[in-house]
Amino acid sequence: MLIIKPKIDFEVNVEAEITPDIATDLEYAKSFTVYYGKLEMSLAELFEVEKEGDSKVIVLEGDFSRVKWIGKGMLDGEIIVRGNAGANYGAFMKGGKIVIEGNADDWIGAEMEGGEIIVKGDAKNLIGCPYWGDLEGMKGGKIVIEGNAGNYIGEKMVSGEIEVRGKAGDFIGTEMKGGLITIHGDCGIVGGDMKAGEIRIGGIFELVPAFRETDDVFVGDVNVKGKGIVRVLTL
Amino acid sequence: MILVKNGHVIDPVNGINEEMDLFIKNGRISSEFKINEKECEVIDAKGKLVVAGAIDIHAHIAARKINSGRAMRPEEFRRVRQKTGKFRAAVGRTLLTAPAIGYEYVKMGYTTAIEPATPSLYTLHTHEELDSIPIIDKAALPLFGNWHLVFKFIAENDIEKLASFISWVLEKMKGYGVKVVNPGGVEAWMYGSNAHSIDDLVPYYDVSVRDIITGLIKANEMLDLPHSIHIHCNNLGEPGNYETTVDTMKLANGIRNNRRQVLHVTHVQFNAFSGSGWKDMGSGTEEIIKLVNKSDNITIDMGQVIFGHATTMTADGPFQFDLHKLLKNKWINLDVELETGTGVVPLIYRPSSPVHSVMWAIALELGLLVNPDKNVISTDYPNGGPFDRYPYIMTLLLSRKYREKEMERAHKYLQRAANLPSIDIERTLEDIVKMTRSSPARILGMHNKGHLGEGADADVVVYDINPAEFNPDKYREIEKALSSALFTIKGGTVVVKNGKIAGDIWGRTMWVDATLRTTAEIIEPDLEEYFNYYTVNRENYGVEERWMRRAERIEVG
Ligand SMILES: [Zn+2]
Repeated sequence: MLIIKPKIDFEVNVEAEITPDIATDLEYAKSFTVYYGKLEMSLAELFEVEKEGDSKVIVLEGDFSRVKWIGKGMLDGEIIVRGNAGANYGAFMKGGKIVIEGNADDWIGAEMEGGEIIVKGDAKNLIGCPYWGDLEGMKGGKIVIEGNAGNYIGEKMVSGEIEVRGKAGDFIGTEMKGGLITIHGDCGIVGGDMKAGEIRIGGIFELVPAFRETDDVFVGDVNVKGKGIVRVLTL
Repeated sequence: MILVKNGHVIDPVNGINEEMDLFIKNGRISSEFKINEKECEVIDAKGKLVVAGAIDIHAHIAARKINSGRAMRPEEFRRVRQKTGKFRAAVGRTLLTAPAIGYEYVKMGYTTAIEPATPSLYTLHTHEELDSIPIIDKAALPLFGNWHLVFKFIAENDIEKLASFISWVLEKMKGYGVKVVNPGGVEAWMYGSNAHSIDDLVPYYDVSVRDIITGLIKANEMLDLPHSIHIHCNNLGEPGNYETTVDTMKLANGIRNNRRQVLHVTHVQFNAFSGSGWKDMGSGTEEIIKLVNKSDNITIDMGQVIFGHATTMTADGPFQFDLHKLLKNKWINLDVELETGTGVVPLIYRPSSPVHSVMWAIALELGLLVNPDKNVISTDYPNGGPFDRYPYIMTLLLSRKYREKEMERAHKYLQRAANLPSIDIERTLEDIVKMTRSSPARILGMHNKGHLGEGADADVVVYDINPAEFNPDKYREIEKALSSALFTIKGGTVVVKNGKIAGDIWGRTMWVDATLRTTAEIIEPDLEEYFNYYTVNRENYGVEERWMRRAERIEVG
């Protein structure tokens, strides 16, 4: 297990594409290349890095809200953030687990393919979305936001699951092609150009006016001959 | 001054395939033999291949199309090719940034590239972008095949006026030659239609596709421009389209020029399909190859497809719409209000696709069977794939073993729908030098390029290949050597060393001035009438030489 703490308050963003793979080799971890603004630095120049035991676990202690790209493409192991997290955590991840105990910034689990991300606080925008220009968003795994979430959730999602226990903003499941999104609270516009998959909502929401109402669900988006399902959760 | 010593020089134009020294002075190849080595930068090329800089005859490297593609495809720019340092940053997967284009070309030993389709109204932008591409020499071909004025002069059978108009456009736009894309078809696209054979008529004009092509050939030859007309045929990307290509080629019958071809047919692979639909689509190269090989007035370039990402972009609006419907991928449709059209659609060529595999094979059939003096390696960048894979194409042509290995990867439908599996030919290094150097230079009428004779541009490349010990079975080594030149010298400056950028200079943009051959006055009333009714003002057209970084005027007269 590695324990990583910032040495300073960061004035600009840090890009640190670390995964649990570095947790078992302290020297390698300390020399791992990160970027502080435009400066190329080693992890140990910006962070205190300690090792306890050989488990494939990274614990980030302190404020990581300006540290981006943690867990990018990770395959296994675990990352625990004891504080707020920056953007792009778990982007492209294929396995393992990320637990963020505070709040998370944008792009959590973007284009992820497997594994699990749990945010105990709130998360901002673009959860499980594709990066600009790409045709597929989340392809597998699970994202749970225990607090509230922002705009754009599961855009162009192909498979996997996103659950928001609180409220969410606009554009839920836009161009969704598969998978499941559950919003327990209220949210804004839902289901634009949805092709397949399912969205379940517990609160008040605004459905794009291109869904057919059936006995128990809404089916659409008819503009794209979609067979997506929007279901109202009942207690 | 640079002395390239003891290299194995292959220069088909001057009949050289042997060890010799090359002396470079004032940016040109010199034949001086009393050389003081102490005053020279000496490059020891013993056991290495030394050739002229290569020329890309057809690559969409600037302006309207590639830039719209860049805007539509942010996902293209995650590949970092070079970080900022002594030289500029370079990024891009199939759509490269302008610095990346210049740098990647010279790393492979290419020193000249032609932007083959510029809408006249946006040519100022084309030149601004060409001006941002470092090192290489460039030129742009304005589009002519769908201008109303072209139809008008052809309907009136007035070739003299048409020639004057071509010369007016080239001077105004600082263009190099005459590009024709889906003649008549792009105009029909403005009414939601297309042209499907050379006998189709242009809407509202009593002019057929056949008339447009022959009229433009005749006008081009009346001007005797350095390059012939450069055509992207009708029906591109349609099964069975090889027949249209053959019909188009036959239009050159009886028209000659003793310096060069009178018709250059570009990215022929995309126009060499047989079959009646996608289910029985196959290679339609046989007749095309026979016709090109027996004609001395037609040349082609391959339009090779590379498995992997590509971005299709042509002035062929109706084709791009069909492709968008077929792939359901993102699409840009532009320029319908202009004297041309534009479409952009991303595409991935997959070896698991029967159609893509056959396309891959078709281009190689052309590369292996068309006389190298009449054929040029191209991908129609970025339509067939990125140009930085040219070494892959060259190596496939050089090595049968490599082709067989790649064929195993491709869909087995290729085995019965293409002729490639039965072709044993292996191209020689000299053939490849022709298809990348001497042929494009002659086809474009660039007499200082494509060879290493006295007075030629000092665009010289040294590759880590020893022609005396050449073994086509070692294809990995060959491809690597061709991808990464030991030295690239551009206009007398060393710009690449060991595959890395070593010097950053600005190349020239060549344009053709044929105004001495024509009288502008004869088309003045026609221009006046046209712009009187057209949505764009005449004043909006045109590029002045002083706005360009390093313009080189080539006077015809
Ligand atoms: Zn093209």
